[in-house]
Parts: sequence; structure tokens; C-alpha cells
Amino acid sequence: MKAGDILGRVYLGALFCFVFAPIAASFVFSFNSDRFPTLPLGHFTTDWYVRAFSRPELWQAIGNSIAVAAMTALLSTFIGFATAYTDFRYGFRFKPAYLALALLPPTMPLVILGLAMLAWLSQLGLSGTRVGIVIAHTVLATPFAMAICRLRLSQMDPTLEAAAWNLGAGQWTAMRYVILPFCAPAIVSALCLTAAVSFDEFIVAWFVSGLNRTVPVMILEILQGNVDPQINAIGTVVFLTSMSLVIAAQFLIFRRRHHD
Amino acid sequence: MTEPLVRFHEVKKRYGSAFAVKSLDLDIQRGEFVALMGPSGCGKTTTLRMLAGLEQPTSGTITINGKVMNDVPAHQRDTPLVWQSLALFPFLSVVENVEFGLRMRGIDTADRRERALKWLDRMGLAGFEARRIDQLSGGQRQRVALARSLVTEPEMLLLDEPLSALDAHLVIRMQGVLTKLQRELGITFVYVTHSQSEAFAMADRVVIMGQGEIEQIGNPREIFRAPKTRFVAEFVGRNNILAGPVSGGVMTTAQGPVPVATADGPAQIVVAADTVSLSRDRPAQGPAIQAAFLSEEFAGTVIICYLEAADGTEFKAQVTEAQLSALQPEPGQPFWLTWDASRVHVMKA
Repeated sequence: MKAGDILGRVYLGALFCFVFAPIAASFVFSFNSDRFPTLPLGHFTTDWYVRAFSRPELWQAIGNSIAVAAMTALLSTFIGFATAYTDFRYGFRFKPAYLALALLPPTMPLVILGLAMLAWLSQLGLSGTRVGIVIAHTVLATPFAMAICRLRLSQMDPTLEAAAWNLGAGQWTAMRYVILPFCAPAIVSALCLTAAVSFDEFIVAWFVSGLNRTVPVMILEILQGNVDPQINAIGTVVFLTSMSLVIAAQFLIFRRRHHD
Repeated sequence: MTEPLVRFHEVKKRYGSAFAVKSLDLDIQRGEFVALMGPSGCGKTTTLRMLAGLEQPTSGTITINGKVMNDVPAHQRDTPLVWQSLALFPFLSVVENVEFGLRMRGIDTADRRERALKWLDRMGLAGFEARRIDQLSGGQRQRVALARSLVTEPEMLLLDEPLSALDAHLVIRMQGVLTKLQRELGITFVYVTHSQSEAFAMADRVVIMGQGEIEQIGNPREIFRAPKTRFVAEFVGRNNILAGPVSGGVMTTAQGPVPVATADGPAQIVVAADTVSLSRDRPAQGPAIQAAFLSEEFAGTVIICYLEAADGTEFKAQVTEAQLSALQPEPGQPFWLTWDASRVHVMKA
């Protein structure tokens, strides 16, 4: 038991190293003066950040990423909440199929999804536009939003809604004064997480973004040109942004659960 | 007789092919404390939910104040319900919970706050208004739920097993609170419960339901001492039931002949456990049945003995501690059960 416990901890430690070492390396080398990532390190510098962030096309990409992430967050959280509420409130014949369909997108290989999105969005004349990326990212992010809202709704006493009706609230009033306040932490959490999903996403964005590059797509383009520590700088910023969003999302879910 | 506050007329409720309520006719008067009692699945909660508009009857009509309510949605009825889970809103403070009903009715902020505070005060919760629901004890939550339902000053209050989550000593206290409230307000209480002690302690009239139908309506004494059907006799209290054809004042039961003061023909009699006494030897006179001792159950000041007759029928006898120690029963040991034949209740077979 004791030995197994230690082994478990070592395994967990190794796992974290394996996952985070490359990110940590990227972080460290983003402040290293040497052109190539070699040991021993050169001296500390913020030069790569200054250089990277003085590129106008990077700012454009950041603008694209933020706009797309914000729209995706709003849209996918709205759809995700509506889907979760439908599941919570109603029983109907093809519910398992409905739920399976709602949870399907993350199981699709991204290359296939990206290619399909490209083909479809071109038909609609939306490929290469921000709207096109928002549509593609919403498809990817909605299941996450739905999962979070569903978790929250499952913690709700179903009689709360009926209690609101009983006290004189119509359907929409009950939604506004009872369901939405109860789900508020989950909704904010879903907004953060879906924004992070969109902000991080590369493959599908690469297919459909065209000239409206998002940050991850731009990173690839710089990378294709040459190996430059600017990548580390940009990567660190992207990583910190996404992590902040994900941590905020987790914090909101767990803090609430602790209270209830 | 004045028009009843509530009238159920041939109300049926079906889920798929199963009837939750088979055919219900029931009048509830103004100012009455009515308990709907029965085992789980008897349709009592469905009946209450139909009254609140949370379920629609499959057929039949529900009338409140002479107005047919079938198509009136829940939020347009004035039928507040105290839920088994209480269903207090966890994201609102105590006073915000209480004023919810007033807020939904568009009462302005100052007015509704004042009325909510008045009710909190009345429920002994002054000073608790800013608390969160999870900072209250079970009994306090109960009183918040009551205040929330009563703040709109309804003509009737519906209660769905509201005390089932409380500790035993709190249940007794809340029973006192509820009966006092009902008397003071003079409004109708419709109280759903499976607990006989709750129903009998509080209600003016008890409606016993079994499998979607009313088995008996009456005051607690009538139901306890004069059950109309076998179902009621078995569900209420500790009763022994004997059945068989009667001829010349003797009923031929599966446990032997028993003298009964009723006309010839098939009959059932109810012998309450507290009228039965046990002895080792056959009593010289009066009815007597032999049964083997099974077990005993301490029920506070008295003890319930369980016995089994030769045909497998279970009998219950209520004895005192002194009587039990005099009898020294061993499992399997045969005893004679006897009772005062004049205290027997005769039911139709």
C-alpha cells in the first residue's frame, strides 16, 4: 500500500514532467539570448518578445484570435446551455441519439473536420472569413460548454424550477430568475473554456482561416520560415492566456460545487 | 352547505397505460386541514400536483372557488406548495427567497421587503434575513419555506411531506407550528404524507388513498377505530384482521371459530392490537385464537408482540413491559390471544 502510494506519486510526477517539460523549455528559451536552444543558457533577455510583438501581422493575428474566441465563446455557450437544458427538462424518444450527436464533434479527427469545414464553408462563401472560423470553432467548442452546463444542472434540485412556477413565475421568468442564476458559475466557466478551446485551436483554423490567420496558424507560418525564439515568446503568451482561461473555468466549477 | 374551496370531480390521471389516480371525487372546505395519506405510489402527491397545476388531469375537472382550473397554468394559480425537498433557492438570501412570490407578482421592492420581513419575524427568523440558505438548520429552512409560501397570503397552502427530512423531535415541534399557523390564518391546508402520526396529529379530516383511489375519508378517530376497508385497517395502526363466514354469531376463520356480534354472511373484523391480551392457557371465555410467538418490538411505553397462527397469518398484540416479563415468551412458544368482543370493529367482507 505504502510502496504503491509512492510509486503512484512518482508516476504522476513523471507524467507532469513529460507534459510540461517542452512548455517549460519554450518558456525558458523565450528569455534566452541565444539564437538556438542550446545549453548552457546565454543571458536573460526580453528581446524576442519585443521583436515578436513589433510585427504588425502578429497583432492582426491576435486581433483575429480574440475576436474569434469571443464570438465562439458566446455562441457555443449559448448553444451548449440550450442543449443541456433541453436534456435536463424534457424526456423524448430519441434523446440518446440527440445527446450522442451533441457530443460527437470532439470524437472526429481534426484533419477530417477541418477539411470538411473548408469544403462546406467554401460552398457558403465563408471560407477564409472570421465568421467561417467562428462557425468551425463553435462546432468544436459547443460540446464542452454543454458538458459543463449539464454538470451544473445535474446538481440542481429539479423541484427548484417547479417551485418558481408555483410561486408565480412563468416559463421564461423562471428561466431568468432561477435557472440562469443557478447556472451562472457554469455559464461563465463555459465561456472561459470555449474561449480557450478556440484560442488554442490550430488544425481546423489552419484549414479555414485563409488570410485571416489566428495566432496558432501564424506560429506555424513563422516556424516554416525559420526556427526563431520569437516562437517561444509567442507560444508562452498563448499558453498563459489559455491556461488562465482554463484555470478560471475550473475554479468556477469547483468553488461552486464545494459550496453546495 | 357552502360551496367547497376545492372540488375534484371524477379526476383521473394516467401515465401511459398506468393510472396514478383512478377516479377521484373530493371536496375540500375553506379553513380545513386535510391530510392525504397513503403508501408511496398511491397517487396522493399526483393529486396535490394536479391541484397546484403542475400536472394536468387526464380527465375530470378540478374546481377552485367554483372556477374550473384544468387549463390554468401553475404560475397563474394561488396554490403555494411546501416541497418535500423545500426547494429553497440556494443563490438567494433568506429574505430574497421569502419575497420571491411577491416579486413575481410585480410588488415593488420596498413593499415586498417589508412583507417578507414581517413573515420572517412571525416565523421566529428575525435577524436571519441576510443569511444564505446553507447557513440555516433544517428547522430554520422549514420555516423559511413556510414563510415563502405564505407571504402572498393564499387561501390554501399545499404541503408535500414537508417534515420527512427532519429529526423526530423537530417533527413534533413543526407539527405544533403548523397546526397553530393553520388555526391562526384560518386558511385551508392540504397535507400529503405517508406518516400516520403526522396526519392524525394535525388533520381535521384524513383522506386515505390506495392505488389511485380514495379508500376512506374521515376524522382521525373514525379512521383509526372504524376502518372501512381491509386496506385502511392494514395501513392504519396495528390491527389484526379476521375474515370468514358468520353463522349464528360465530365466524369461521382460518384460525378457528370466533364469536362475533354481527348478522350471518361473510364478514371481516378488525381487532386492534391494543385490545388483544396474551395468555399461556386458554381463556375460560370470550374469543380465543392460538398463535406462536415470533418476536417483540419496543414502541416506547408499550411493546408490540408478533405472533403467527398455524395458517401463517400474523397477529399483533400490544402489551406492557410488566405483562411481557410475566409471560416470558420464547420464539415458537404457543399463546392464546383473546380480546373484548364488544370492542371489535366489523367491516363488510
